[in-house]
Amino acid sequence: MKLLEVVDVSKSFGNLAALTNVSIQVETNQIVGLIGPNGSGKSTLLHSICGRTIANSGSVLLNGKELVSANPMIRAQSGMAIKFQLARIYVEKTVKENIMISLQAKDGMWSLVRSGTTKKFMPEIEELIVEFQLVDYADTQAKYLSHGQQQWLEIAMAMASNPSILLLDEPTAGMSPKERSDTSKLIKSASKKCGVLIVEHDLDFIKDLCDRITVLHHGSVAASGTPTEIENDPKVKEVYLTRV
Amino acid sequence: MKKRMRIGLAIVCAIPILSPLLFMNGNDYLIQAVTRIFIYGLLVLSVEMSWGQTGIFTLGQAAFFGVGGYFAAYLATNENVTDIGLLLIIAIAAGIMSGTLVALFLFSGKRVGELYVALVTLVISFVCEKLANSWTFVGSGNGIPGVPFATLFGKEISSPIAFYFVAFGIFAVALIVCIVIIDSQFGLAINAVRDDEERAEFFGYNRSAIQIVIFIFSATLASMGGALFALSEGFISPSSLGLALSTSTVLWVVLGGRGTFFGPLLALALLESVDIEMRSILPSLWQILVGLMLLATMIFLPKGLASLGEKSRNKRELRKRS
Repeated sequence: MKLLEVVDVSKSFGNLAALTNVSIQVETNQIVGLIGPNGSGKSTLLHSICGRTIANSGSVLLNGKELVSANPMIRAQSGMAIKFQLARIYVEKTVKENIMISLQAKDGMWSLVRSGTTKKFMPEIEELIVEFQLVDYADTQAKYLSHGQQQWLEIAMAMASNPSILLLDEPTAGMSPKERSDTSKLIKSASKKCGVLIVEHDLDFIKDLCDRITVLHHGSVAASGTPTEIENDPKVKEVYLTRV
Repeated sequence: MKKRMRIGLAIVCAIPILSPLLFMNGNDYLIQAVTRIFIYGLLVLSVEMSWGQTGIFTLGQAAFFGVGGYFAAYLATNENVTDIGLLLIIAIAAGIMSGTLVALFLFSGKRVGELYVALVTLVISFVCEKLANSWTFVGSGNGIPGVPFATLFGKEISSPIAFYFVAFGIFAVALIVCIVIIDSQFGLAINAVRDDEERAEFFGYNRSAIQIVIFIFSATLASMGGALFALSEGFISPSSLGLALSTSTVLWVVLGGRGTFFGPLLALALLESVDIEMRSILPSLWQILVGLMLLATMIFLPKGLASLGEKSRNKRELRKRS
């Protein structure tokens, strides 16, 4: 059974069809890349999967559970985690607190109310801050982190919830080559625990990282296959690779 | 509890305990004025919990203050219920009921904007004040005067100093409860909702439930404050439900620094301490001065008095990083 199955998802804004019958699949431990020119519908598709936008029709199945009309909370509780294009972290909170915010979200509200302490998550937090190279900043407010570190923190927060599927919206935007290389390793490591769907502009980055790539154009799937198949697809070459 | 928080709490508790012995010299007028600070302190805690900690911008918290006050005043005056414990339980119930009604209306559906919440709560406060002004059952414009002294274990709390310690005790317990909540996992969750409620939902938080619970809790704090006010002052009037008190509370929180407990409480204590004197010395200018102070705070210290300490911490952090 597929981990994430997006089947014939369509979304329009007024008369503008942003997505038309888009289907995409992600399996456990697989990294799938989503590319396409600006306005091709990548972000709309990602938002339709995570619940920021509700699709007009189609299915979004996670572990066989239909989530197409569910709100973001239900989707997150079902095992979906997202890293947004612009890091949405809690800048006034410390790195540890940011990760704790994500870790404890799986506890029910009454469990949160009854809890007198925030200490029980410390072992998991320590593990994550080591993995994401944030040890030296554990007690630093997130606003003092560099751009790359903020992106890592958000991925760490997403991974803290132990998701089945990790959605990444341009995780390397604005990063230095060294940071991109480190991010690539972090994503590969994350894929050992869950499926990963990445929206990315940087084809070099994505072709080395992904098991499969889907190309979107004008809100439809133009091509789908392994990075080599996509690179060699004449239609993709002609229409997209020169533009992304 | 964080070390800084513990020190702050110790200071907040030590000053009121020692003040009557050191500074007040049995001056009943002064003691009543400080008692009023504790009572309004409950209102400040309620706004701080809803707005400062959870991001629910309420402009009508006095409505809940007045509800508690009217319940306590009516029962003490007309039904001879004077036991302070029982009256506080009734005020808590009234706060929970009225808070639940408003919270369900505001937060049970989709996310609503800060301005929408502010306007709805403002209107509620306005309507409550108008209702109390015209409803003869609760004394219309005169309110309910002649509220008898409250009793504790059957004994009348008739001396101002006794009520001072009762009010302080209740305020201190409420403050500790608020601090414990903020220090807990739930505190982190409500801060997450305050700072980015949509992001919090993407982590799996039930944003709506968190906002409802905090709104009810803060309404309950305000209602308890209202009950204590009626018993302390011996009357309740429509102004206790109204816009002036609601906006004053927001003013204390803005001046002190939203997101902290001690800043707004300090602002309340400072402003209330000088308010009575200044009203007699500069009757026409005082309100303008308060307005200018608010303006200056928003320009030069947008995060209030509490941010003075934060600024030096930020400088230290930047120095450390450079």
